[in-house]
Amino acid sequence: MPAFLQPSSLSEAWSALKENEDVRFLAGGTDLIVLMRQGAVKCGAVMDVKKIPELSVFGFKDGALEIGGAVTCAQILEAHETEGPYGILKQAAVTLANSLLRNRATLAGNLCNASPGGDMIPASLVLGASVVAASPRGEREIPLKDFFLGVKKHVLARDEIVLRVVFPKIQGGGVYLKKRRIRGHDLAQVGVAGFYDGGLRFALGAVGPTPVLVDFGRIPEAELLERKAEIVETVAAEAKPITDIRASKEYRLAMTRLFAGRILDALSSCSRPLAVEEAAQ
Amino acid sequence: MNRQRIRLKVNGQAYDTLCSENATLLTLLREDLGLTGTKEGCGAGECGACTVILNGRPVNSCMVLALECQDSEVRTIEGETVNGGLSDLQKAFIEHNALQCGFCTPGMIMSARALLDKNPSPTREDICEALEGNLCRCTGYEPIIAAVLSAAGGEVNE
Repeated sequence: MPAFLQPSSLSEAWSALKENEDVRFLAGGTDLIVLMRQGAVKCGAVMDVKKIPELSVFGFKDGALEIGGAVTCAQILEAHETEGPYGILKQAAVTLANSLLRNRATLAGNLCNASPGGDMIPASLVLGASVVAASPRGEREIPLKDFFLGVKKHVLARDEIVLRVVFPKIQGGGVYLKKRRIRGHDLAQVGVAGFYDGGLRFALGAVGPTPVLVDFGRIPEAELLERKAEIVETVAAEAKPITDIRASKEYRLAMTRLFAGRILDALSSCSRPLAVEEAAQ
Repeated sequence: MNRQRIRLKVNGQAYDTLCSENATLLTLLREDLGLTGTKEGCGAGECGACTVILNGRPVNSCMVLALECQDSEVRTIEGETVNGGLSDLQKAFIEHNALQCGFCTPGMIMSARALLDKNPSPTREDICEALEGNLCRCTGYEPIIAAVLSAAGGEVNE
């Protein structure tokens, strides 16, 4: 029977960590509470981190967008901050589960759950996000591309709290396309994000043990379509999908190619609307 | 079993009680406060039967710990009652045959209520998005969408 802790400051959190063993952090709870109820996660205590003021930041600092650890996907969808180049976060958030879950699910929680198909991950990767985490030993900033170690595994220690996710100042635009079986709560079969700001980056979800970033470096805009076949193949070569209940590996690979091509089309003609959602109809 | 004090408002009424540290908001409502109108379906955030409005936002009450709701305002289906009678939404659900077995209805109505509070004149698309987390196996959804449109004073083509 885990204890319930709800610190209202980081210093309270560090004292509570000393007094309790085997603490799990609770943000939106849309993953953790289900796993606890199923008995798949057992812990000594649950620490609700949402009352720690540092985790509620949502805004620009020195040109970079900061999204606190307690900020929900619904807040991301409603905010002006996540427009323009950061609009790809909205494109991803709107596909995450359903409107009820988006009212609880947080960006940081989605990253920390470290699911291969986490919807916020590909969009965050192409934006060059980093994770700022704090522990009793101090703060550190980890580039998101170095954050994931495997299925549901990340680099954070058990006593590190994600304070915020930081997105560097950026121009340009991005697209997130996702395939799933049904609208609503279904998880991604494939998720592909692409971003162009003079440099081209793709990120893939649900096609390997961790989400993957594919960075092409700088490419002149005129070459995006000329090199389409080569770019699509390079992206697809990074996909290492498996067959599971949601899709076969062949289907996932085919969809990765299709989406990479569509995203490239959209990125190379900025006049076209970029928000496209590929839900199963 | 460790219990902690919880203070919150449900349907405008203040409660100050003890609850188990790992109780969900759903358990608190049903078992401690006796508000059994809110139903448990899947217990995993997929069906929406347990939807309540927490601080203005509809959520799955099976996926929120009761102690996370300290000093919060919760609205449940029981709060729909107007002067002992049915609310506009409840009447519209009956009028449009928007329920058969009725198990999804409390959650469906709370999602719809949260939508109407925020957006009194929703489009069909707004309604579909607001209800995407609420499953119904009886109606095929069209009567539910019609009921919400009609409660919002919108035009219903049936």
